[in-house]
Amino acid sequence: MNLPKIHSITKKILVGALGAFLSFFLLFHASANLLILRHDGGEWYNAFCHFMGTYYIVKLLEIGLFAALLLHAVLAIWLAVTNKMARPKGYHKPQRSKTHTGSKLQMWTGILIFACLLMHFTDFYFVKIGWVKGKYMAKTEAVVALKTTQPNAANHAEQHGEYSAKGTWLTNFDKEDKAILEAAGLEVEPDFYHQAREKFKVLHIVISYLIFFTVVWFHLRHGFPAIFQTFGLNNHKYSRAIELLGQLFTWGVCLMFAVVVVGVYFGL
Amino acid sequence: MNFTLHIWRQECAQAKGHFETYKIENISPDCSFLEMLDILNEQLISGAPHDTQPSTPNAPIAHPVCFDNDCREGICGMCGLYINGRPHGNDDGITTCQLHMRKFKDGDDIWIEPWRAKAFPVIRDLVVDRSAFDKIIQAGGYISTTTGGVPDANTIPIPKHDADMAMDAASCIGCGACVAACKNASAMLFVGAKVTHLALLPQGQVEAADRVHKMVAKMDELGFGSCTNTYACEAECPKGIKRQSIARLNRQWIGSLLGRDGR
Amino acid sequence: MLDPKIPSGPLAEKWTQYKASQKLVNPANKRKLNIIVVGTGLAGASAAASLGALGFNVDIFCIQDSPRRAHSIAAQGGINAAKNYQNDGDSVERLFRDTVKGGDYRAREANVYRLAEVSGAIIDQCVAQGVPFARDYGGLLDNRSFGGAQVSRTFYAKGQTGQQLLLGAYGALSREIARGRVTLHTRREMMDLVVMDGRARGIIVRNLVTGDLERYAAHAVVLATGGYGNLYYLSTNAMNSNGSAAWVCHRKGAAFANPCYVQIHPTCIPVHGDYQSKLTLMSESLRNDGRIWVPKKKEDAEAIRVGKLKANDIAEDDRDYYLERRYPAFGNLVPRDVASRAAKERCDAGYGVGTGYAVYLDFADAIRRMGKEAIEEKYGNLFQMYQKITDENPYETPMMIYPAIHYTMGGLWVDYELQTTIPGLFAAGEANFSDHGANRLGASALMQGLADGYFVLPYTLQNYLADQISVAKPSVTAPEFDEAEAAVRQRMDRFMEIGKALGKGQTTSLHTVDDFHKRLGKIMWEYCGMARNSESLTTAKRLVKELEDDFWKSVFVPGNANEMNPELEKACRLEDYFELAQLVIDDAQHREESCGGHFRTEHQTADGETLRDDEHFMYVAVWEYQGHGQPETMEKEPLVYEHIKIANRNYK
Repeated sequence: MNLPKIHSITKKILVGALGAFLSFFLLFHASANLLILRHDGGEWYNAFCHFMGTYYIVKLLEIGLFAALLLHAVLAIWLAVTNKMARPKGYHKPQRSKTHTGSKLQMWTGILIFACLLMHFTDFYFVKIGWVKGKYMAKTEAVVALKTTQPNAANHAEQHGEYSAKGTWLTNFDKEDKAILEAAGLEVEPDFYHQAREKFKVLHIVISYLIFFTVVWFHLRHGFPAIFQTFGLNNHKYSRAIELLGQLFTWGVCLMFAVVVVGVYFGL
Repeated sequence: MNFTLHIWRQECAQAKGHFETYKIENISPDCSFLEMLDILNEQLISGAPHDTQPSTPNAPIAHPVCFDNDCREGICGMCGLYINGRPHGNDDGITTCQLHMRKFKDGDDIWIEPWRAKAFPVIRDLVVDRSAFDKIIQAGGYISTTTGGVPDANTIPIPKHDADMAMDAASCIGCGACVAACKNASAMLFVGAKVTHLALLPQGQVEAADRVHKMVAKMDELGFGSCTNTYACEAECPKGIKRQSIARLNRQWIGSLLGRDGR
Repeated sequence: MLDPKIPSGPLAEKWTQYKASQKLVNPANKRKLNIIVVGTGLAGASAAASLGALGFNVDIFCIQDSPRRAHSIAAQGGINAAKNYQNDGDSVERLFRDTVKGGDYRAREANVYRLAEVSGAIIDQCVAQGVPFARDYGGLLDNRSFGGAQVSRTFYAKGQTGQQLLLGAYGALSREIARGRVTLHTRREMMDLVVMDGRARGIIVRNLVTGDLERYAAHAVVLATGGYGNLYYLSTNAMNSNGSAAWVCHRKGAAFANPCYVQIHPTCIPVHGDYQSKLTLMSESLRNDGRIWVPKKKEDAEAIRVGKLKANDIAEDDRDYYLERRYPAFGNLVPRDVASRAAKERCDAGYGVGTGYAVYLDFADAIRRMGKEAIEEKYGNLFQMYQKITDENPYETPMMIYPAIHYTMGGLWVDYELQTTIPGLFAAGEANFSDHGANRLGASALMQGLADGYFVLPYTLQNYLADQISVAKPSVTAPEFDEAEAAVRQRMDRFMEIGKALGKGQTTSLHTVDDFHKRLGKIMWEYCGMARNSESLTTAKRLVKELEDDFWKSVFVPGNANEMNPELEKACRLEDYFELAQLVIDDAQHREESCGGHFRTEHQTADGETLRDDEHFMYVAVWEYQGHGQPETMEKEPLVYEHIKIANRNYK
């Protein structure tokens, strides 16, 4: 097989660039998640999810995101394999140099993140593409419009659903409701607000998510400041600032995620 | 002081190699590590009735342990042993020849291994072939000058700060501890130091983009790993070369991809 | 008859005249000519790079794994050049005068003048190569002052000037290697010179990895293999530095000049045990602020030696600042040879501290005066280095120092063209004898190495090669190569045979090469070191001879000749050192005067200073090899000073 000649640094820069893209996604995701903590019946959070699920540019970005994730992993593994090959015979005594532990774990935390993502997708993303069942919602105006043609279905919706704070959404349908409403031609979409609130009431799910965030913390703790190094932005003047920014970012993202999960569990 | 030494012995490049155990006694704490090995070798050669005979029974008179060394004052970069899990042993900012036995505890077990890297094959015992470093330099780690026909030394003033930083990067001694320490056997600190040294000087900027490209290509070709920002190299560099020179190398590399001579 | 080939005309015009009238080789013919350069230090690397750039085919050899390891790398202080950037009255003329005076009027005028003349171009060249010399805030080059001069003309790169200059030359060399003009051969040791029809035509080297003997032929050979300081076993030289390459050339007919001129550096970390392998230099600059002393009372010195007293226990009045006492004008800043002898005198008289062979270098006054921070800024790295080695904190307790062998002014005799007495064999850098007379000034070794390599050899070699263009590259299958290789093989086999015989049924402990080397070093240091006299030299000669006989009976070299075998390498070098030692002793014996590094106790002034005898000894002693064990014959190259006025050195 004739692979294109990509120099080690270029590969590394690509891994870094993709990592940066993924990091910003995480920041975005974590900030948006804070909306779950609003007791608004999913008014805002679901509006956000609706936008994310329907706007075509976002849909394109979504494909990009998955591609980035995959490419990030493939390149990193490629590098890791060549790196292993650079030392065919290892040392007898384990290394005792004073180094960052993060980067040595990067490969493993990366793999763990994939495993955790599977769990996360089962909980949420797969609901969207219909692989698993969850909570659903519909636009109130669509239900109202339905009243004339399919009054039964509309009534069902009003009886089984809950209005969000401003009444934009009828939410918290389960999969039976979804079947009835869809049969009536109503457009139903996932209700991630209630989905999250339901999931994060379960202790073992909360714990597994906290583990997930810890793994992400380790991955970001090394990865995020390393991006600056790889892009050549680190120098003697900024190295402390970069280190600080890295800490801030890593803790920020992970704490935001964690606050939502723990907050919901404790009824916030 | 008394020590038990576990030393990597390997007849030649093709041989398999194994650890051999030696006991050595009455070593002064002021003795340097290499002098301790000298004493071991003296005992191995003279066959004096010490417990320094190899542990394998019926072995012939042991060939002294081969190890590279030269200036023994920390500047030539010739010596380099991986001692108890650290290149140049358990102290900071030193070469192996600057390590003294007082850094160990009486009765310690000491494991001595050669640098391990695909690009640094073992020649014999603890001696490795580091000519890969020369090849990287030959790929472009210099300013193209021929003798004579250069301007007066003071023609181009160079900011003191830049000159000082260039000097810090230029103090690399090419010992290979960075490669030995790196979990990926990467030579990025070595290459970064040279690229940084030359890129900071106006004389070196003319060829900067070309230089970084050729040196990195050669580094890859020779089988060094890539950098994953562990910074073990920085921790073990006897001359205190900083990770920032790797950042500069990356920056230069991006510049070279964009086709310009960046600083 | 020795012909130094000094061009005629006024001193300042000689080099210009030479260059204008020398023969050249045209570019097409350069490609047909091969040159061998042995050694990759400042002289070797710069010569190979320059010759390669000119278009010659160059093969370069070094014993280390990389050209960058050569011992030039260890030079700390700086490099002199008559740039007069400081506007303090420096000039080519002044650098020339300082160097001749520093060498105690035992150097060849024309060579030294040329050295001073090209010194400026060296700095230009190095800056162009990217040598990061120290600069001031305006971005221009900075200078510091050094011993033996009243101007600031020393360029420096931290305390690592030698390293940076060597890396510059190594870069230039690497470029020529990449261009295919120079072929690099590492881990090769030169074992013999091949002479054909009276001309140097090739070398035999031992591949230190495989043990194979290899043959290389060329039209000319350049030797840049450094000095022979390791003859004394303990020196500031690197472990692999040796005099053998020069010595095998000497055996083949290259004359050796002034072997007894050996420089002893006063500020080195003292010997502390039998196992010690080398001595570490502490920069001369420390003497700017440190005060050197020993206890005034013998009992105090004894108490310190057995550990009952510490340096700081000795009251101010009980300290003898002997340099300040003897040389009130220069105090602690007297030249190297003077400071070294004074330390030896005190220790020999029983006032030494430590092991008895050490004196104190005390910074307490300077720390009181300038504060610890100021001292730290100035000497921090040296203090740290000292602490790493000795485990003592020099900020709190005085440093201990003692003189050590550092540099050899003697070497292969060369004419103005740097050609030895064998046509086609050139010697550059410390390997030749040419520019430093009887004593080298600080920061001049780097200057000389680079001057020879960058700016002298590229001219003079062409002059030699101009009539060689029609000569085909000599064949390595020629009988001369066979003969030389066979002789080398025989030499090594001799060791292996002794080893095999001794190793068989061995019951007692065997003597290693280092055993003998240490003993040789001790004899030389004791009887032919800082101070010599007729009696000590006679003793030395006898002891060396006895030791050599013993060596051939009982030295044990393990392993085989056809493998990596550091013991065999050392044995071959030591064999040469035995002969060299005897020549050093003979030369010291014959030179019935004191000058520079050569101090004969019979020839001193009433207050113990060197006493030259210009009437009888103003010449270069040029020795020719007459066979093993035979006394060498000496020729004199008279030193004619047309330009300079001869005076006495006085530091009182």
